[in-house]
Amino acid sequence: MADRVALEAPLDGTFGPVVRLIVGGIAERVDFGFEAMDDLQLAIERLLAEAGSDGRVSMTFDLAPGRIEARIGPLREAGIAGALRDSDGAPSGLTLSQILETVVDSFGIDSATDGEIIVRLEKLVAAGA
Amino acid sequence: MRDAKHEAKARTRAEERELLRLYHEEGDTSAREQLVQRHLPLVRSLARRYAGRGEPLEDIEQVGAIGLLKAIDRFELERDVSLGTYATPNVVGEIKRHFRDKGWAIRVPRALQELNARMSITIDRLTSKLGHSPSVGEIAVALGTTSEEVLEALEVGSAYTTLSLSASPAGEEGESDPLDAIGEEDLGFERSEDRVSLAPALGTLAPREREILRMRFEEGLPQTQIAERVGLSQMHVSRLIRKSLTVMRDELQ
Repeated sequence: MADRVALEAPLDGTFGPVVRLIVGGIAERVDFGFEAMDDLQLAIERLLAEAGSDGRVSMTFDLAPGRIEARIGPLREAGIAGALRDSDGAPSGLTLSQILETVVDSFGIDSATDGEIIVRLEKLVAAGA
Repeated sequence: MRDAKHEAKARTRAEERELLRLYHEEGDTSAREQLVQRHLPLVRSLARRYAGRGEPLEDIEQVGAIGLLKAIDRFELERDVSLGTYATPNVVGEIKRHFRDKGWAIRVPRALQELNARMSITIDRLTSKLGHSPSVGEIAVALGTTSEEVLEALEVGSAYTTLSLSASPAGEEGESDPLDAIGEEDLGFERSEDRVSLAPALGTLAPREREILRMRFEEGLPQTQIAERVGLSQMHVSRLIRKSLTVMRDELQ
């Protein structure tokens, strides 16, 4: 059975570095290289940046050798769901979807209820990479 | 022997004057670039004086290079002084201002600052040696410390109020950013997409940072390759990507 780490944090951006540290520590436990770790940290950072600064967010990380699957939510469906689908033409031009496509191996909406969603991110590393 | 040395110095000075003339009177930007290349050793030498204060040497060198560019741009041909002499206070002033204005935003233990400063070169060295991006554990072994300290030291980079050396489209006093003139101009995002609403956000980034984002998210290049292309460390590229995305996001809000 894969190891699981769960975390709940305020969406307030001041906790961003704390979340980064924890994600870094988790990535280290499954032997991610610096770049893969940085990619996962960036994915979560950008996702939370889109989620606003009010309320709290839960994160669970399922760990296996060379693989981390994160579930992050609940997040407001409005805005986030669109940003996840929109790979072209969102206001930023460099959309959340484009960023995630680059830095994680797969992502999507894990579940949706009452205007809130949980987002799934998966990051893999090849052996020795 | 002394005459030969004197002659070489005079010849170098004459070449420098000609390059300054070409740049200031004829707008020859390649002359400016040559002046920059000739004086980078001076910048490096001055930057080294400020090493060990918690910032990577390469960051300090780049700040110093901004001072050099400003000195080249402000140099008046009537001045009877070498560019090196004229540039030195500009370079030092730029570095001091950087430390004063853009230094550590929060108090970071000196040991972590120093670890952070050593991290960049260690990551690049290990990437080259191991043939893959080193894990935190591998970095820790190389630095003789623990994984937790490595993670904390990596996070120390976030303690800067501003990491970008050229994040603003305009420098102080409304001057154009000297770094805009260096490197390849690449407007891939704007060119390839009809993303009009992004213009203000992308416009807040310097060309080099736009290019780094383009390489990462359009070409899909890994940080290591981007670092090689732009001549920065992988850690610096990572920080510029994060910083740029944050700046763009903030701009849109």
